[in-house]
Order: sequence, then structure tokens, then C-alpha cells
Amino acid sequence: MNRLYQIIMFVLLSFLFVILQSTFFSPKHLGIFYPDLNLIFVVFLGLFSEVRGSAIIALGNGFMMDVLSGNLIGLYSLSRLSLFLVLKGLSTHIYAQSRITQVIGLFCSTLFSWGFIWIGLKMRTDFRISFGEIMAQSFVNTIVGLPLFWLIKNLYARVQA
Amino acid sequence: MRFLRRHPILISIVLFFFATQFISLRYEGRQVGDSFSSFILTLTYYPQKLIFILTGAIVNVWQNYIELVGVRNENERLRNEIRKLRQEKFHLWEAELQNDRLKKLLGLKGNSTYDVVSANVIAGSPSILRSQVVIIDKGSENGISQGMPVATYEGIVGRILLVGEKSSEVILITDDISAVDAYIHRTRARGIVKGTGGGCIMEYLEKKADVSVGDKVISSGKDGFFPKEVVIGTVVETEASGGFIRARVLPDMDLNSLEEVVVILKLPEEKVLNE
Repeated sequence: MNRLYQIIMFVLLSFLFVILQSTFFSPKHLGIFYPDLNLIFVVFLGLFSEVRGSAIIALGNGFMMDVLSGNLIGLYSLSRLSLFLVLKGLSTHIYAQSRITQVIGLFCSTLFSWGFIWIGLKMRTDFRISFGEIMAQSFVNTIVGLPLFWLIKNLYARVQA
Repeated sequence: MRFLRRHPILISIVLFFFATQFISLRYEGRQVGDSFSSFILTLTYYPQKLIFILTGAIVNVWQNYIELVGVRNENERLRNEIRKLRQEKFHLWEAELQNDRLKKLLGLKGNSTYDVVSANVIAGSPSILRSQVVIIDKGSENGISQGMPVATYEGIVGRILLVGEKSSEVILITDDISAVDAYIHRTRARGIVKGTGGGCIMEYLEKKADVSVGDKVISSGKDGFFPKEVVIGTVVETEASGGFIRARVLPDMDLNSLEEVVVILKLPEEKVLNE
């Protein structure tokens, strides 16, 4: 039963973050300094989630991003799934509870995610976001990500108990 | 799952291969309007609408009761009046020019009108890659379909990209993939207004064309999406570009703070959809 609650919690959180990012934290209003809540959530799933089906939640999260971003089908779905799998693979080799690891994880995950999109798109179309902007987003995600991790971890612990 | 955990790099390379094959920011060849995407759009409608109503209510309370109520209302009324007068002035100017042209051609041309549906902008794109997308609170149940033009009383805003039952996605004219067939209002010089991510440029204007800063740009109606003679914006800069002139066009309204729009219930012409 606990597992079911955990899955429901993650699905609801994923949905909530997509909604928040399309309303209060939309890049339309905040520009490159918007916190990518969905990316932070996928990093959390990759580092901490022990729930089976987290990969599907990460994929679903990416798909919702694709749909709400003018039908960029595949772009976020694949990059988020890829990021989740890399983090999941690494999570057994690192101490994810350490704050330093989380800071590095958030920063590098943003870079990885943009790198994936950048290389993928550069081969076919224009890509207008500069490296400086990607770095700025990495900083914003790291700053917003730490308290968000704490919040989700508390929720997760309650559901696990 | 164990395989996935053991070989994350391999899986990422496979996913990356798929990404390079299928991902594109461009519009062509993409299957838009599929039912699952529409379902996601409808699913997100309710919370987005709720947030829109709540924030609207809070902002309204703040503006109406905390700020100076009378000054604000008066200001709003005068702004609306100025907008109407500007629009009227523009129509008169347009009618005069049109009259002259028609006299010269010894012909008559009628303007067709379409039904419109007004809508509120309830959300924006969650991605910086395509930030020039907004979500409105009207969908297929209000008669909206893919490709319909969206405007405000000040001019063209964009067109419908994806339709859900209760909400729709609008791609703004400032988006990279947006293009509108247009005229310079004063001289009828024709070109294509393209989005640049944050603004618009008018391209393919003939070198001999008479274009200057301050000229109004209007839609030609020849792209099959937008009705003719709707204001797009004003020329703010011109430069030579190869054998053509390129003009930077500033939309007359602030597309970053859109609140209300109207969807013109004009279906795109079939030839455009088939292209």
C-alpha cells in the first residue's frame, strides 16, 4: 500500500510542478532565471526514489513539458528520461544525502540536460540559448533545488513511514 | 530495471540517438493535435484556470481596494477610449487609402468578417526553448480549431497550435516558427513577418520598396491563416539584407503581458494545411 501512496505522491508532485512552471514560474515572465522545477524533481527521483516506475514518472513529466511547450514532442521526454537513468546509475556509487553531492548533482544535471538538448538540436535546427544562460539556469536550479529536495524528502519520508 | 541501472550510459546514448533523429524545434512534419496531447492540455486546464482565477482575484482586490479605485477606473476608461480612437483613426486612414486604390483599379473589394471568441490567457510555456507560447481558456467546445488566428483589439497575436477540449495553445507571432504574409500599410510593399524569439522581422521586402521607420505593417491574408488587413506592428528599424530590405517590426501590444485575446473563427485554407 505504501508503494502505491508513493507512486501517487510522485505523480501528483510531477503534475503540480508542471502546473507551477506554466503559471507562476513560466520563463515567459522570468526569462532564463526561471527555476526548472521539473528538472529538479527528476534529479530527486534519480538520486533518492526507490519506487519502481520512477522512470515512467520522469518520462511522463518530460512529456507534459513537451505538450505545454508548443508540442516539442520528444525533446523533454527523452532528455528527462536520460537524465533520470544516468542519475539512477550513479546513485549507487555516491552518497546522495550529502549537501555537496546534491549541489553538484543539481548543477551538473542542468548542464547535462541542456547539453543533451543542445547537441540534439544543433544537428537539426537553430539553438538560441547561450552557455552563459545555461550556467545561470544551473545556478538558479541549484539554489531552488536544495530547499525543494528537503521538502520532497520530508513528504517522501512521511509516505514511507 | 536492473539492466537500466547497470548501463545508464548505454541507454543514454540510445536515447540521444533517438533525440537526434526525431527532435526538431521546427514545425514541419510534426504530428500536432494528437488526442493524447489534447488530453494532457485538458488535464492541465483545471489547475491552471484555478490559479488564474485565484491570482486574478488577489490582484483585483489589491488594485481595487488598496490602490486608488477612482484613478484606476478612470485611467482604464481613458486608455480604452484612446485605444478605440486609435483604431478608428487607423481604420479611417486605411479606408482612405483603400478608396484611392480602388478608384485607380476601378474595382470594388469587400471585407469579409468572422465570428470571434474572447479568451483569457491562463498560462505560459514551461520551457525557455519555446517561451513564445501561451495557453488560453477556450478550446474545441467553443468552436476553436487548430490554425485559427488569435488577436487583440490592437492587432495579431498568433495562431492556435494545439486544441484541448477546454483550453488551447497559442503560438505567438514572435516565436521562431511563426510567419505571416504582410504588407507595409502605406506603400503596399509585401514581405514575410517572422518571429525571432522576442520580436519580429519583416523579410523579403524588395530593395526598391518604400519602407521607413514608423510604417504600419498589416497582414495580407495570403498565407491562408490570418485575415487580411489586421495590424501586426510598426517598423522600428530597416536595413539592407542581400538583395532585399529587412525591417524590424515591433508588435503594437506587449505580448509578454497578454491577458485577454480573441480567437477569430476562421479556418485555415486547405492548401495551407496540406503544405
